[in-house]
Amino acid sequence: MTRKKPVQWTRLDNAAKIFPPNTNEQDTKVFRFVCELKDEVDKEILQKALDKTIVLFPIYRSVLRKGVFWYYFERTEMMPEVVEEYKPPCGSLYHPNRKNLLFEVTYYRKRINLEMYHALADGTGALGFLKTLLYFYITMKYKEDFVEQLPNLDYDASFAQKMDDSFRKHYTDEKIPKRVKVNRAYRISGRRSIDNRLKVVEGVMSVKEILALSRRYNTTLTVYLTALFMKAIYQEMPARAKRYPVVLSVPVNLRAFFPSVTARNFFSTINVSYHFGQKKDDLESIIAEVKEAFARELTEEKLRKHMNRLVALEHNAFTRIVPLFIKDWVLRFANYINDKGITATLSNVGKILIAEEFIPYVNLFNCFNSARRPQIGMCSFGDKLVISFASPFDGMDIQKNFYRMLTEEGVEITISSNSREVG
Amino acid sequence: MQYCEHCKVKIKGNHPVCPLCAGLLEQRKSPQEEDVFPQIPTIYQEFNVFIRLLLLISIATTVISFAINIIFTEESRWSILVAAGIACMWISLFFIIRKRNNIPKTIVWQVGLLGILSVIWDASMGWIGWSIDYVIPSICVGAMIVMAVAAKILKLGVRDLLVYFLVDGIFGFIPIIFIIFGWLNVLYPSVICVAVSVINLSALILFEGDNMKAELDKRMHI
Repeated sequence: MTRKKPVQWTRLDNAAKIFPPNTNEQDTKVFRFVCELKDEVDKEILQKALDKTIVLFPIYRSVLRKGVFWYYFERTEMMPEVVEEYKPPCGSLYHPNRKNLLFEVTYYRKRINLEMYHALADGTGALGFLKTLLYFYITMKYKEDFVEQLPNLDYDASFAQKMDDSFRKHYTDEKIPKRVKVNRAYRISGRRSIDNRLKVVEGVMSVKEILALSRRYNTTLTVYLTALFMKAIYQEMPARAKRYPVVLSVPVNLRAFFPSVTARNFFSTINVSYHFGQKKDDLESIIAEVKEAFARELTEEKLRKHMNRLVALEHNAFTRIVPLFIKDWVLRFANYINDKGITATLSNVGKILIAEEFIPYVNLFNCFNSARRPQIGMCSFGDKLVISFASPFDGMDIQKNFYRMLTEEGVEITISSNSREVG
Repeated sequence: MQYCEHCKVKIKGNHPVCPLCAGLLEQRKSPQEEDVFPQIPTIYQEFNVFIRLLLLISIATTVISFAINIIFTEESRWSILVAAGIACMWISLFFIIRKRNNIPKTIVWQVGLLGILSVIWDASMGWIGWSIDYVIPSICVGAMIVMAVAAKILKLGVRDLLVYFLVDGIFGFIPIIFIIFGWLNVLYPSVICVAVSVINLSALILFEGDNMKAELDKRMHI
C-alpha cells in the first residue's frame, strides 16, 4: 500500500480567527490591491508569474476548513488561475463547506487585481505577494530590458519567517488587562444594492499637494485625512445623531513596532473618536483631537497590551476546549457589540516601494476593503496618492464631501468609479 | 477625460453623470475612454425554485390533511402524524442542503438525525421499539455501505472519508448499550450492526492508523 504524505495544515493566527465567523454576503472580509501598469496586461505572462510566485508563498495555497475546536488552513494541490475581472470587487472568497483558494488574481485592461480573504493575510502580507508577482511579471514581459541583470527580489524572508504567526511570537504572558467598555458610536446607514455589490470610488491626487495641505495645518498626512473623513461624515449626520461620537477605526501594522516579516496577519486597530455634539466642528479642532489620539494610542506599550489581551483569550485553557460552533456564536456576538462602537474605517497602507528598475512600468497602486459601511483605503506610489472609498450603500454624499473639501483647497483629483447608476 | 464643474474633479471612464454628485457631465469626445472597472450586470439570486415548490406542496398537504381530518374523521388525529412526517422530512432536507458539499459529512449527519427522529417518533406513538430494533442498526450499516460506494464512484480522497467512517463506526456501537440494557425485542439487526462496526473499525485502525491519527490531530487541535 502506498504511503500517502500526510497533508500539511496550519493554525490560523490570532487576528485571522475573527474573520470566518463574521464573514457573510454583506461583509465578505475580502480586500483588494490593484496595480495599474502602463501597458495592457498579458494574461499568459501573468499566469506564469503567478505560478512562480505561489511557490514562494506556500501558505497561500490553502483552503479554510473547520475543525472541532478551531478553523485551520489545509494545503491543497489547487493552482490559482488568472482570469479577467468578472465579478463586482471584493466578492466572497470564503464559502463554508466548499474548498477553494482564498485569494484571486484577476486583470482588466491595464490593471492587475489581487483579492485576498483577510484570514489569510493583512495588507502588508498581501502587498509582499503582489510585489513578488510584479517582479516576475515585469521581468518576464519586458525581458529585453533586463538582459543584463535581474534586480533583487527584495522580500528577504525565509519560508518559516513568512509563515510565522507573529502574534504568538510576540505576546508576553502578562495578566489579561481589563476590557474597555464599548461606547455607542454614530452609525452610517443607507440603501444597499440588490446583489450586495460594493461601490468603489477611486481618487488619484498628488502626494506633494496633500503634504503641503497637511503642513499648513501642522500635522501629518494620515492625521489630516482622518480628520477630513470625520468632517465629511459629520456633514451628513442628522442633527439628532450628534449625541453619538464619530469613531474611526484605523488598522496599525504591527510590523512597524515589533520585528516581523510575516506574510500573514500582524495588525491591530486603534479607535479615534470625536464628539460633534460636545465639541466644535471646524477642521482645526478635529485635527487637534485626532493628533492627540494617535500619539496616545500608537505606542508600543498600548499596542502590546492590546495584543496580549487578544492572544491571552485565545490561549486560555477554557476557551480552547469550547467547540467551534459555540466559538462562532460568541465571536459573532462580540463583533456585533464591537461594531456598535465604530462609525467607519480608514486604512492607510502608506508608501509603496518597489525596485527602482520597475518604476517606469507601473502607473499607480490602489487598495480598498469590503465593508459594511463607507470605508477609506489609501496608499501612495511615487507622487500618486490614491484614496479609495468602498461602500455598500447607494449614497455618495460622504465621498462627495471628502473630495470636494480637497478640491476646494486647490488639489487636482481624478476620479473613477465602478458604479454607472445615478447615486 | 470628463470634468465635473460642481465637484471640480476630472473623471476617468464612461459616466453619464458625476459619480459623486450625480451632476450632468459635459460629454467630451475623447479618443480612448479608459474604464477602470468592467461593467458587471446585477446578479439576481433567487431562492431555489424547486425548494419553493416543495415548500408549497408541503404546506398544501398539511393544510388539506388537517381539513379532511376535521371534516370527516374527527375521532383520530392522524393529520398531526402527516404534519410531523413532513416536518421530519424538512429537518432532514435542511441538513442535507447545508452540508451538501461534503457527502460523507451529510451521510453521517443524516444517520444521527434520522436515528434521533425515529426514536422520538417511536416514543410518541407509545413505545413499540421499532426504532432501536430496526432503524438505528440498519441506518448505521447502510451509511457505511453508502459511504464506501460513494467514495469509489466519486473518487473521494481517503483522508476525507476517514473521519466520517470512524464516526459511523462509533455510532455502530450504540446498539451494544441497547443489548446490555435489554431494551430490544429483536436482536439480530443490532448484532449484525455491532459486528460490522467492529470489523470496520479494526480495518481502519490497522490499515489507516497513521493517517487517522494525523487527521484527528488536525481536526481536533486546540
